Amino acid sequence: MRISLNHLRRYCPALPASPVEVRNLMDDVGLEVKRMEDDGDDPAVVLEFLANRGDHRCYAGIAREIAARLEGPLLLPPVLTLTAGESPVPLRIETDLCLLYTATLIEAGPAGGTLPDEVLHPLIAAEMQSVSPWVDATNIANLELGQPTHVFDADAIVGGITVRLSRQGERAWPLFQPEPITLDEGILVIADDEKILGIAGVIGCEDSKATAGSRRLLLEAAAFDPVAVRKGARRLRLSTDASARFERGGDSSLPLVGAGRVAHLLETWAGAHHRGVGVAGDWRDPERTIALRPDRVSAYFHRPFSATEIAERLAGYGFTTTGGPEELTVRVPPGRLWDVQNREDLYEELARNAGYDELPLALPAVAMGVQESPWERTKKRVEEVILGLGFHEVMTNGFYSRQLAENLGIAEGHPLWEHVETANALDRSFSLLKNNGLAQAVEAAADNLRFGVDEIRMYEWTRTFHRNPAAANGVNDEREILWLIATGPSRDPSWADKPRAVDVWYLKGIVEDLATELRVPFEVTHPDPEAPLYSVLHPYRQGTILLDGRRVGIFGELDPAVARAFGIKKARPYYFEIEAVALRHEPAPVAFSLPPLRPPSVRMLAFTLGNRVEAGEVAGCLQRNGPDWLRKVSIVDLFEHEENGEPVRTVTFALEYRNDLSEHSIEEMNAVSEGLVRAVEGELGGRVRLR
Amino acid sequence: MTLAGWDILRVAMQIEDIVQIQERFRSELGAVTDLARLDQVRRDYLGKNSGLKAALKDLRGVPEESRAQFAKLLNDTKASLEAELDAVKLRLDELSRRTQIEAEWVDLSMPGIAPRRGGRHPVTEVEYLCLGVLRQLGFKLEAGPEIETEFYNFDALNIPAHHPARDMQDTFFVDGGLLLRSHTTPVQARTLEQRPPLPIKIASAGRVYRNEAVDATHMPMFHQLEGFWLDTDLTFAHLKGILRFVVQGLYGDERRFRFKPKYYPYTEPSIGMDIECATCHGTGCSACHGAGWVTIIGAGMIHRNVLQTFGYDPDEVSGIAFGWGTTRMASQWIGLGRIKSLYEQDLRLLRAIHGGDQ
Repeated sequence: MRISLNHLRRYCPALPASPVEVRNLMDDVGLEVKRMEDDGDDPAVVLEFLANRGDHRCYAGIAREIAARLEGPLLLPPVLTLTAGESPVPLRIETDLCLLYTATLIEAGPAGGTLPDEVLHPLIAAEMQSVSPWVDATNIANLELGQPTHVFDADAIVGGITVRLSRQGERAWPLFQPEPITLDEGILVIADDEKILGIAGVIGCEDSKATAGSRRLLLEAAAFDPVAVRKGARRLRLSTDASARFERGGDSSLPLVGAGRVAHLLETWAGAHHRGVGVAGDWRDPERTIALRPDRVSAYFHRPFSATEIAERLAGYGFTTTGGPEELTVRVPPGRLWDVQNREDLYEELARNAGYDELPLALPAVAMGVQESPWERTKKRVEEVILGLGFHEVMTNGFYSRQLAENLGIAEGHPLWEHVETANALDRSFSLLKNNGLAQAVEAAADNLRFGVDEIRMYEWTRTFHRNPAAANGVNDEREILWLIATGPSRDPSWADKPRAVDVWYLKGIVEDLATELRVPFEVTHPDPEAPLYSVLHPYRQGTILLDGRRVGIFGELDPAVARAFGIKKARPYYFEIEAVALRHEPAPVAFSLPPLRPPSVRMLAFTLGNRVEAGEVAGCLQRNGPDWLRKVSIVDLFEHEENGEPVRTVTFALEYRNDLSEHSIEEMNAVSEGLVRAVEGELGGRVRLR
Repeated sequence: MTLAGWDILRVAMQIEDIVQIQERFRSELGAVTDLARLDQVRRDYLGKNSGLKAALKDLRGVPEESRAQFAKLLNDTKASLEAELDAVKLRLDELSRRTQIEAEWVDLSMPGIAPRRGGRHPVTEVEYLCLGVLRQLGFKLEAGPEIETEFYNFDALNIPAHHPARDMQDTFFVDGGLLLRSHTTPVQARTLEQRPPLPIKIASAGRVYRNEAVDATHMPMFHQLEGFWLDTDLTFAHLKGILRFVVQGLYGDERRFRFKPKYYPYTEPSIGMDIECATCHGTGCSACHGAGWVTIIGAGMIHRNVLQTFGYDPDEVSGIAFGWGTTRMASQWIGLGRIKSLYEQDLRLLRAIHGGDQ
């Protein structure tokens, strides 16, 4: 709401002269200043109101708030006192969602008239259009006093006025709509005997609107149930000044005051006359009271508050108090019924009046702080491994578009097909809750590649959402995962050397690093076709991460077709994903053997491996058939070449013999090595031969 | 016994030999230019086949009267030669070191080649910093689901259906009438439901979702962090004291701050906490929309309706709650007005934030 400070000063003469001081004061009393606007001689302030303070949405409300702080007077505009009598039209309320309804007949003067600029000032400051004296007067009254009113062309009303709920299929033509619309059933409406005149508390209708040429006007001033107004506004997807006010609760004392202000404006400036006031509904101030004990108030704020001080401070906001120094009974003014309901609400009034900054502060006794939880520590250790490898953390949305999911090339029946879906997303990009981290990881890699970033190492802690009717909430499970994606060099390239490109062994090394750092026995095994991500990774260049025999993660090269679907042409992205719960696994006890006293004796054996014979098989065979003093078998070299036109691999194994006391001779070690060669040839047949 | 003439002659000759040895030694030593040659000279004059060594072996043959004098002469000569050799070795060592060093010049303007470390996301950095401050007050981190029920996200937090406050948090609804949590406060509700013993001091952090049109400063998903403390006798003054502790822990003792009234449905009274704008230091600029202040924390005393929902008597138990957007805090921290950039996975930006190459 845009407020003229000059106009506001009419209501609150104590308002500081300096706009900066006004701004600070407004911030301090809970009137949120969005911005100040230096409008020449008429500086203005744009306010955002707290959601619970319907009473702030007018000059009188703002002035009351400031005047109470400054202990200055509050001056309200003149109103015509309207007295309920014979209604100019029959009034009927069919639902208790209408609390109070008043209708005042106003007749235009013979010459008509216009409201002068001085009167239109709040309207101009609020940057609202001037429509006609009738409509302008209602808008001004709302801006001034916070009571929305509406004028109908009385000659367009057939029969009486009924406040009721809309019926199935009923049509209305709200103002500013291009054509009539069909209402849902159950919306609070104002109707005559034939048609709907307005959506209660929200907006009037075209076919009963007052125009500059209207001569007889029916002025509505009412109070409605806030939720009913809100429902109506939401269903019409409309938010008006009136609905914003009514949704926060009305003031039982205001409808006739608001109508009186409109009548005053029109009689004073437009030559109009009011001819009768009808009132329906019996909503009255319930005279709510709240007990307040000064000693408790003092303890709450850590500074003394006497009964007198409390009464004086609250009086500025319209609260009245009775009672003695031990306990006060505070009566809530009718305009604050909706937001002042208990003791703490009054505490807030007092704090606001005193100034939040002026009240003492204290720190409660704290015995001692706490340490990071085991999971927080574990997470940081995992991050240290990843950060050390040059990965950067990213953060993706919890959802993605169907298109992104379709890039994975999955079809119905695939484990990734089912998603939890958003029901009301404004954007189709947010339609599916993600059930994997890969889609967004690859999208992120593709985006970076498009920007020419070809050294990509990214990670994210995120959650995935999986449909599960048996879940506690009846819809889904959530899983926390860690994903990594990498492509390009495995470390920053330099002038000194050319680092190896990221590949599947690089990711396997990360698994091994994590296993070492966390002392969790992760095991890498062959691809598992049951894994949900199996089909989106290269069938050979992927591995499964097991923990205690259970699949907890996967890693591998992105399937080329999937990469192409994401617009990745040359790069080969590698993806890694592991369940966070696996990282929380209890660490194994520290276990090690003391290093040998003497350097071990090492023998090298190189085998040429046949098609798809794994080096691990050979290493296992060597270890299995070796003596107990064969300490370790390591794979130390790979030579890929051709023999007879066929690609073959020659792998070199280092056999590390422990020989602390020189108890084994060179001849004995050589004999063992020869025995191992025979064992490999025997177990793996012609698929392996010594080189 | 007196020296025979022959003996006198022999001693004299030997003395003369030694003098000659010394002269030759000095001549050769003067020509030495490397350590290998120096070793050779050392072996020639002090080695087992050297003249000096032979003279020492022949010492028994020297008449007893002059043996001691002659032995002294030999030892002095040996010591003198050794000293001279050592001095030359020292000089050659230094020369050798200098030569080596001169040959080992490197171009330090070449970039370093140690593997570059990656970096945490700025939001995580801020989150860790905040949690570090809260841990000093005894707050433990708890997590909650991102897909929530209306009860935990709204109803239990004094935000009934059709309450205007729900407009503040336009909500993503998902299958089954569930929703994506619009704030981290449901963790508070879930914790209170468990009724753990007092005092309860919990921090929660993570993703939250708002069904809003995306622009430079509004995202459908962003990050929040909050804490709440439930105990007997917590007061408004305590709320302010805790907020000051938190803000000073995050921004230092020198940063000015202020409190102002706010409205949150789950707290009463509610507080907003501003810090002085880091850009203009309070004079007003575009970064703070001319206010000179930037709101960073929303807080308040936990609403009695929330306490009563979980069976607490508001006359006996009170609570403090506070929270802030870690996304916003991170963007303020690094001076990034367009918070959307934090969620675009742009490695150029992330590397630059950590001081690396773009």
